Amino acid sequence: MARTQEDLTVAASDQANDPIHQFVVSPLFSGEMGAASFTNASLFMVIVSLAVTFLMVVGTSSKDIVPGRLQAAAEMSYEFVASTVRGTMGQEGMRFFPFVFSLFMFVIFSNIIGLIPYTFTVTSQIVVTFAFAAMVIGIVIVYGVMRHGSHFLGLFVPSGVPAALLPFIVLIEIISFVSRPVSLSVRLFANMLAGHITLKVFGAFVAMMLGGGAFAALLSPLPLLAIVLLTAFELLVAVLQAYVFAILTCVYLNDAIHPGH
Amino acid sequence: MTQPSGDQEDRELKARLEKLSVALKGKRSDLQGAAQAQSEASVTRTGQAMSLGFRVLAEFVAGVIVGGVIGWQADLWLGTTPFGLIVFLALGTAAGFWNVYKLAATTSSR
Repeated sequence: MARTQEDLTVAASDQANDPIHQFVVSPLFSGEMGAASFTNASLFMVIVSLAVTFLMVVGTSSKDIVPGRLQAAAEMSYEFVASTVRGTMGQEGMRFFPFVFSLFMFVIFSNIIGLIPYTFTVTSQIVVTFAFAAMVIGIVIVYGVMRHGSHFLGLFVPSGVPAALLPFIVLIEIISFVSRPVSLSVRLFANMLAGHITLKVFGAFVAMMLGGGAFAALLSPLPLLAIVLLTAFELLVAVLQAYVFAILTCVYLNDAIHPGH
Repeated sequence: MTQPSGDQEDRELKARLEKLSVALKGKRSDLQGAAQAQSEASVTRTGQAMSLGFRVLAEFVAGVIVGGVIGWQADLWLGTTPFGLIVFLALGTAAGFWNVYKLAATTSSR
């Protein structure tokens, strides 16, 4: 224990200005990181699931004709996802509604809860978003093969292509199909990561400028103003990305239902 | 016609002024509301355009990365360094363009 008080202060301020530190996953109860540790990420997954459950259970418990706030929010989220699912997949796609709805609610809640300072953003971890995307593509493949058998492979063979080009086109279509989970997960993860890093960097600007002499201190409200605007923008991004994730899930699932384009 | 007294004139003037100021206020709040709605709409449009841009970027990059990884792994397994990487990187780039083309085709037809 050779660290002096000064060292500790420096370490703490480094941590405060480090824009990446907010994404560190660390165990909450025991010091060691193991496979079964309950981490801050696990805690926020539980919080998000509880928040979604609370909204849906409490919101739908009263069944008023004129809905209250919670009931209106619950009904709006249901109507919104249901119309998205019907719009992209048709009435037949409603069998995937529970899956798409859970995915959408989890993503939108973790995006929005992550905007609150000192919280952890679950969707800023690529492991989480890639697990979702892999689950979506897994369901597409399993359901497509179950329902259409070898006809599902017709997804990779576009019609009206010259026979000489066909092998290349099929290879390109397969790579394009494999790239779907990658792009689906990277988009959500990168948006959340970039937004939170930007907010943190601007926040660190304020602190550094306040300590950087009289002239810099005078200008320090400017990044603070930028944070206010950025937070509003991040709120938009959080909702929009959850929507994009849900609608792309629908588009991909639609390929499993109707592989013939 | 008799000349209206000063008192009456004053009252009429006041009433007219009040009417005008109410009308002005109404007009101003209308204008402000319109400006606010416009700025909100432009923020939404910027957000949507950015999300579309991000989608295009992600689709393209994902195609290239997936092609590269397949080629790299094929080389490791089959010992064909560097031809697998070259061929699959080219195919992956083509797949990236194909992704973007499909995205553009669906969004413009909507």
